[in-house]
Amino acid sequence: MSLGDELRYLRAFHGGGNLREIEEEIGLKPGTLRYMEQRYRRVGEDDEVLASIAAYYDVPLGTLQYHRERYRKALSAYLQQGLESGATARFELRTGETLTGRVRWWDLGALGLEPEGGGALTVVQRHAVLDWAGTMTNDQSEGG
Amino acid sequence: MPEDLRTIRKRKGMSVNQMASRSGISIATLIQYEKGEREIPPNDLRRLAKVLYIDEWDINPRSSPPSPPPPRKERPDRPPRPQKKPPQEKKPPPKSPPARETQIAHLLTIAARFDIDRAALEAEIGKPLDELTQKEGRFWNGHFMRRMAEEQPPKSPIDRKRAYLPEGVDGFELAYLQEQQEAGAPLHFTLFDGQTFEGAVVGFSPYQITIREPGGDEITLNKLAIAYYRKAGGIR
Repeated sequence: MSLGDELRYLRAFHGGGNLREIEEEIGLKPGTLRYMEQRYRRVGEDDEVLASIAAYYDVPLGTLQYHRERYRKALSAYLQQGLESGATARFELRTGETLTGRVRWWDLGALGLEPEGGGALTVVQRHAVLDWAGTMTNDQSEGG
Repeated sequence: MPEDLRTIRKRKGMSVNQMASRSGISIATLIQYEKGEREIPPNDLRRLAKVLYIDEWDINPRSSPPSPPPPRKERPDRPPRPQKKPPQEKKPPPKSPPARETQIAHLLTIAARFDIDRAALEAEIGKPLDELTQKEGRFWNGHFMRRMAEEQPPKSPIDRKRAYLPEGVDGFELAYLQEQQEAGAPLHFTLFDGQTFEGAVVGFSPYQITIREPGGDEITLNKLAIAYYRKAGGIR
């Protein structure tokens, strides 16, 4: 799960407050949180900013740093790689479950996973993916 | 007095797409309701009333078919156009001044690229270069420039490939849901909090999926709450 998804989740969990108000309360420049929530690329490089957000949401800084490494483009790259190679992909979900299989398709919101050993295609929501095997750190040539 | 669905929807400023996503009824079905091709069953009537914030009996279950478009109004006769003025006698074009030295120098330079010397060039043009006018100079310079362009190897098409961005659409999932809805196949949904639901898809939008449980109850699941789903009975 990307930092943006995690921040949105935390905001919803803390009452779904207005971004501008939260930014003001934390003392961030206007638009900082919105930017972090919406970007597909890796964001949140400034640990000081991350620490202030972590304090506001009452979560360890390490949690936000963990999600920073799992940005959406990195997941896209992993999915595309899996789609092209046909290799078995592995996804850890926020529910605590781990799903493995071959990526049949992926798009904006979900991915179609063919389970290992056959069975019905499983449609996994991207925001439910906490981690995946072989986290990629190189940026891909996508926009966003 | 009940009104047609389309009339109410228009008054509420809602699009068919919005009504479909909020009610969980497919766009195609809604269009059939609006055109009066199908009567709205009580179940859907309740959902639509809820979405439109009105009572069920405010909606006419069988909409009247849309009236044909009104015939085009005949345009009132236009006043006759004023006749054009008779063309005036054209003045003879002014004689072009002699070609500039730079024009001739340029012409000789590009002609040399085709191994054409001054004598050959004058033979091709049909007159000595000193007698060339500016207009003729422009013409012959253009002529050789075009020749050069034609004889140059074609530029290779731009080799930049735009990255394929499936992230720009959510078409795959919607196509899958469409397929399952048409097949009437029940799906098994697992939510973030571990709850599970099972039922056939009766409608969906980019943000919600409405299912009918085996008991007949309809539930709209927010996609943000869903972790994953698959055909009911599917083996992991």
